[in-house]
Amino acid sequence: MLLSLNWLREFIPFSGDAAELGDKLTMAGLEVEGISRPYAALRPIVTGLVLACAKHPEADKLSVCRVDVGDEVLDIVCGAPNVAAGQKVAVVRVGVTLPTGLAVKKAKLRGAPSNGMICSEFELGLSDEHEGILVLPDDAAVGSPIPDALGLDDEILDISITPNRGDCLSVLGIAREAAALLRLPLRLPAFERHTSGGNASAELSLETDPKLAPLYHGLVIENLKSAPSPGRLRYRLNAVGMRPISNMVDATNYVMLELGQPLHAFDLDRIRDMTIRVRAADPGETLITLDGKKRLLEASDITIRDGRGAVGLGGMMGGLNSEITPETRRVFLESAIFNPINIRKTARRLNLHSEASFRFERGVDQGGATYALERAAHLLAGLSGGHVRPGFIKNEGRPRRKKRITLRRSFARARIGIGAGMENSFYEETLKSLGCEVEDVSGELRDGEKNPAECWVVIPPSWRYDLTREVDLVEEVVRLYGVDRVPAALPGIARNLERAGLPETKTAFISRIKHWARGASLNEIITYSFTGRKVLEFLGLDASGAISLQNPLSDDLDVLRPHLAPGLLGALRNNLAQGAPFVRLFETAAAFAPDQSSETGASEEARLGLILHGERRFRPWPDAAGDLDYSDLKGLIEHLLHFLALPEADFVSSGTCPWLSPAVDVLLGAEKIGYAGRVRKEIADRHLAKKEVWSAELNLDLLHSLHKKSGIFFKSLPIFPPVRRDVTFIAPLGLRADSIRKTIEGIKSPLETEARLIDCFEPQGKDERNLTFRLTFRRADRTLKDAEADKQRELIAEAVQKTLSVRV
Amino acid sequence: MSLIDELEKLLSDLNAALPEISSPAGLDELQTACLGRKGALARLMARLPELPPADRPAFGKAANAVKEEMTSLFAQRRKVYQAQAEDEGLARFDPSLPGRLPGQGSLHPVTLVMEEICRILVNLGFETVNGPEVETDFNNFQALNFPPDHPARDMQDTFFVREGIVMRTHTSPMQVRAMLERGKPPVAVIAPGKVYRRDSDMTHSPMFHQIEGLLVDENISLAHLRGTLTFFLRELFGPRVKVRFRPSFFPFTEPSLEVDMSCILCEGTGRRTLGRGAKEPCRVCKGTGWLEILGAGMVDPEVFAAVGFDPECSGFAFGLGVERVAMLKYGIDDLRIFFESDLRFLKQFI
Repeated sequence: MLLSLNWLREFIPFSGDAAELGDKLTMAGLEVEGISRPYAALRPIVTGLVLACAKHPEADKLSVCRVDVGDEVLDIVCGAPNVAAGQKVAVVRVGVTLPTGLAVKKAKLRGAPSNGMICSEFELGLSDEHEGILVLPDDAAVGSPIPDALGLDDEILDISITPNRGDCLSVLGIAREAAALLRLPLRLPAFERHTSGGNASAELSLETDPKLAPLYHGLVIENLKSAPSPGRLRYRLNAVGMRPISNMVDATNYVMLELGQPLHAFDLDRIRDMTIRVRAADPGETLITLDGKKRLLEASDITIRDGRGAVGLGGMMGGLNSEITPETRRVFLESAIFNPINIRKTARRLNLHSEASFRFERGVDQGGATYALERAAHLLAGLSGGHVRPGFIKNEGRPRRKKRITLRRSFARARIGIGAGMENSFYEETLKSLGCEVEDVSGELRDGEKNPAECWVVIPPSWRYDLTREVDLVEEVVRLYGVDRVPAALPGIARNLERAGLPETKTAFISRIKHWARGASLNEIITYSFTGRKVLEFLGLDASGAISLQNPLSDDLDVLRPHLAPGLLGALRNNLAQGAPFVRLFETAAAFAPDQSSETGASEEARLGLILHGERRFRPWPDAAGDLDYSDLKGLIEHLLHFLALPEADFVSSGTCPWLSPAVDVLLGAEKIGYAGRVRKEIADRHLAKKEVWSAELNLDLLHSLHKKSGIFFKSLPIFPPVRRDVTFIAPLGLRADSIRKTIEGIKSPLETEARLIDCFEPQGKDERNLTFRLTFRRADRTLKDAEADKQRELIAEAVQKTLSVRV
Repeated sequence: MSLIDELEKLLSDLNAALPEISSPAGLDELQTACLGRKGALARLMARLPELPPADRPAFGKAANAVKEEMTSLFAQRRKVYQAQAEDEGLARFDPSLPGRLPGQGSLHPVTLVMEEICRILVNLGFETVNGPEVETDFNNFQALNFPPDHPARDMQDTFFVREGIVMRTHTSPMQVRAMLERGKPPVAVIAPGKVYRRDSDMTHSPMFHQIEGLLVDENISLAHLRGTLTFFLRELFGPRVKVRFRPSFFPFTEPSLEVDMSCILCEGTGRRTLGRGAKEPCRVCKGTGWLEILGAGMVDPEVFAAVGFDPECSGFAFGLGVERVAMLKYGIDDLRIFFESDLRFLKQFI
C-alpha cells in the first residue's frame, strides 16, 4: 500500500521524517519496502508572483511578464491566455529541466528576452492539461518550491500489508498503528454534515441478505455536476497510484484510501423502480461490469440489483448499466460490508481483483462504515456542487458481536520468556492504545472459578478482525514492546531414549551417496521435477500415465517426471551448447508415479540419475584419448554397490526403457535396482550430442533398505600364496562373458578359484572373440604345487568347453 | 719389473687413463679391463706362484690395497658421472607440465549449504526428517491454519495436482507430519527439501529448497526462538552477524516473525566504500544494512489442535530458503543459474 506522509499527518501530529516512521512501522510488522518521492523533480521549480503582465509588442498571443521569484525578478515571455498580474505561478528558472524532459534555456522571443518559463499542469507532469498556466493558491509563499506551495504528497511509503491486517489498508489504519507506536493522539477528518431535501429513505426500498452483506448503508446525493476534481485531490490520488477520473468517482476512491471503506456510487436515475436488492446471483445470469467485460455469474456471487436485475457485483465492481457518467445528476452512494468468503470466491473465479475486493477479502471495519459513508457523501457533494439528502437507506442485518478475550499475564510470560520491563501497565496501555477495551479482572470470580492474578478481559476494536484469541493479544503486546527487546536464550533440547540408535535416515543416506558421487568425478545437478508431456512422448513413454499439474507454468512443464531422464538430458544439452568436452553429471531426486495406495495419489521414488558423454580424459594431456562408454557407466554402478557393501549386480539386457538402446536392467538377486544404457541416437541428436550418451537411474529407496541389511564382515587373510594361470576361450559373440566366469567359479574343487577377465579381443570380421581369464588358485591349508595348478587349469578348460559353446 | 712394481704401475696407469675416459660406458670398459675376472689385476694375481712363498702374503696384501684403491677411484669417478646424469635429468624435468587428475566431481551449492545448515541444527539436537513433495491440502494448508478461501493462501502461488492435492508450497507440512508421527512432545525436527510455487522470474523459481525447523516441548518461549536462530545464523555466517526480529504474519505461527541479519557485504552499514573514500549504497542489502533470511514464529495453537497436541503446549518453528543462503554465501546474483546445470558454475563448488 502506498501511504502519503502528508496525508498521515492529517491524522496524527507526527513531526519526524519518512525514514524514521518507516523504521518504526517495519519493526512493528508493517514492512516498509521503499520510500519514493514522486514530486522530487518539481523541487527546483518555485513559486513566482506575476508583478506585471503586458502584451508582447510583436506578437498577439504572447505576454511579457515580470515575475518575482523571491531572490530576484525575472522577465519571462509567456504564451498562455490566462496569465495575469497578481497571480502566483510556477516558475522554472534557466538551467532547470522539467519532468517532461524539457531543459529551460535563456531565450529571445520576437525580440523580448525570456529568463525562464511559467508552467502549466502538463509541464509539471501533474495532468494532461496544457491549455493554460497553473495558477497557484494565493497563500503560496513566493520563492517556495512547488511541492510545498501546492502541499503535494511528496513522501510516499510503500508498505507491505500482511493478509491478517486488512485494517491497515488505509491512511486511518496506519495512523492508528503509528499513534499506538509513537503514543500520539489520533484525530479523524472533520467535515460538516449539511443535508437538504426530503428524507431519501422513504423513496428507496432496500432488501439485503445479511449473510452476504451484514451491513448495507447508502445515501442519496443530488444536483451533481460532473467535473474534474480540484488539483489538490487529483495530485494526491496520483501520488498514491490512483488515477483521477471525475469528482464523483474520485471522492469515493479518496475516502476508500483514507478510511479503508470501499464505496460505490450508482447513477440513481438508472436504478429502476427505486429499489436496491442485495442477494446471491442467479446461476447463469450475466452482468457487464464497469470494465466492459461480460461476467457469467454463479450463486456464490453477490449481486446488487434494482427492480429489474443486476446493476453491480457487490464488493467487486459496479455494472455498466448503473455507471456514473458525465450526465449523472444524482447518485445512490453505497457503503457496505460484504462476506469475505463470497468475495474471495468471486475474485478468484473471475480473476477480478479490485481495490474493493482486496479490502473486503481481508475484512473491512463494520463499525466505520457509516462514518465513511457520510465522509464520502459530503465530500462528493462538496466537489460536485450538490447536496446530500437526509435519511440513511440502511440495513445492518447482522451487527458485529463484540468478542471478550481473557488474557492471563502468566500465559503471556510463558510464551514470550522473561520480559524485563513489561509491567502490567504496559499490557494495559498497549492494548488500549490499539483501541481495545481492557478490564482488569485479576482474581475475580467467574463461573464459580477464581481468575488468576494478573488477568484482563479485553474487547478488541471493531476493525481488528485478527484479534480473536489470547495468543493474538500476546502478539500485540510483544509486537509493540519490540521482539528485539526480548532476551535470547538457547533451549535445552530434550533427547529421547526411544529414538537412540535408529537406522540412518534417508536424508543422511542420500547425502552419503552425493559425497560418493563427487568422489567418483561426477558433478551434481538439480533440475526441475516438472517436464512436458511432449518430452515424455519423445522419450517413448506413455505420458498419459504421468501425474499432471492442473495449472502448469507452461506446456513444457505440465507433468511430474516419472524418470530423471528429462532433467539429465536437458542438463546435457545445456552443457554441450556451451562447448563442454565431456559431461559426467548426477542428480538425486524423486521420480513420480501414480499410486492409489498413497494418500497423495503419488509415489515418490528417490533416484540417483547418471549421465555420461564425451571424452573420458579430464585433460587432453597426459591422459589417453578415448570416449566415455558403457564400461565407464557400469564401473560407476559397480563402484557404488561396492561402496554400499552390496554384492555384485547382474546386468541384463532388457527392453523396458524406450529411450535407451541397448538398455540394461541392473539386478541385485531378484530385485531390480535400476537400469542403464545408451540413449537412442535420435534422442541424443536432439540434445546436441555428437558422441554416445550413457545414462543410468538407480532406485535409492531400494538401495537404502538393502544397504541397511548389508554390512562389512572381516575375512581372515590367507596364509598360503596363490598360484595363477591364464586361459583363453574363443567364444561366439552372443555369449555373455560372465557366464564363463560363473561356470568356472561354479566348478566344485578343493581349491579356492577366482576367475577374472584380463583381455577381450574381437578380431575384425569374425563372429567370435577371445576372452582371456586369469585364474587364481589357492589352498587354505598348504602351498599349492605348480603341477596341481596346471591340472586344475586343464580341468576348468574342459569343463567350460563342455558346458558352453566355447573353444580353448 | 717386479710384480710389486707392476702392481704399482697398474695404479699409475689407471690414474693416467681415467681423465681420458669420457663416458660411463668407457668407465665400465676400463673397470672391466682393470678389475674384471680377466682384467689386469687378475692377470697379475695369476702370476702369484712366480713369487717365493715367503713374499706371497706381502704381495697379496699389496694387491688388495691396490684393488681397494682402484675400486674407490672408479667409484669416485662414477659418482661424478651420476651427479652429472642427475643434473642433466633435472635440467630436462619440467615441473610445469599438467598433472594426471584422479577426477574431481562437485556438489551443488544447494547441497553444500543444506548440509551445512543441517549439521549446525543437528548438533543443536534437531533430528532430520523428510517427506513427500506432492502433499495433501490438509498438511500443506488446513492443518497449518490456512482455511480454504483465505487470502493467506495468496501468499503462496500453488500448483494443484487435483482436488485436495498440491505440490507442497513450503516444507512446513513436515511440521504436521512430524507431530502426527510422534504423537506428543517433545518434537525437535528439521526438514530439508524441495518446494514448489507457481512463479518464475529473475528472483523466483517454480522449484526451490527450504529447511523447516520445529521445536515443541514444555516451556518453549519466544526467547528460545531468538536464541536458537541467533546461534544458528552466527554459526552459518560468522560471529559478527547481528540479528533482528520483525513481527510479520504466517497463519501457522503467532506471533510470526521475519528474521533479518546484518548484511554480510557491508556488515550492516548499508554503505560500501569505493576508492578514495567515496561511498555507495550496498547493492546486496539495497542500502538498508539488513537481509531477510528466515521466517519464524511461535507455533499457533490451531496447529497443535489440528495434530491433536495440547493447545496449551508451546513451540517454535522456522523456515528458510536454501538458495537465498547460497546466494549470500557464495555471492551468486541470479537464482536461475542454480537450475541450469552449467558445468562452469557447478565445478566451482567442490
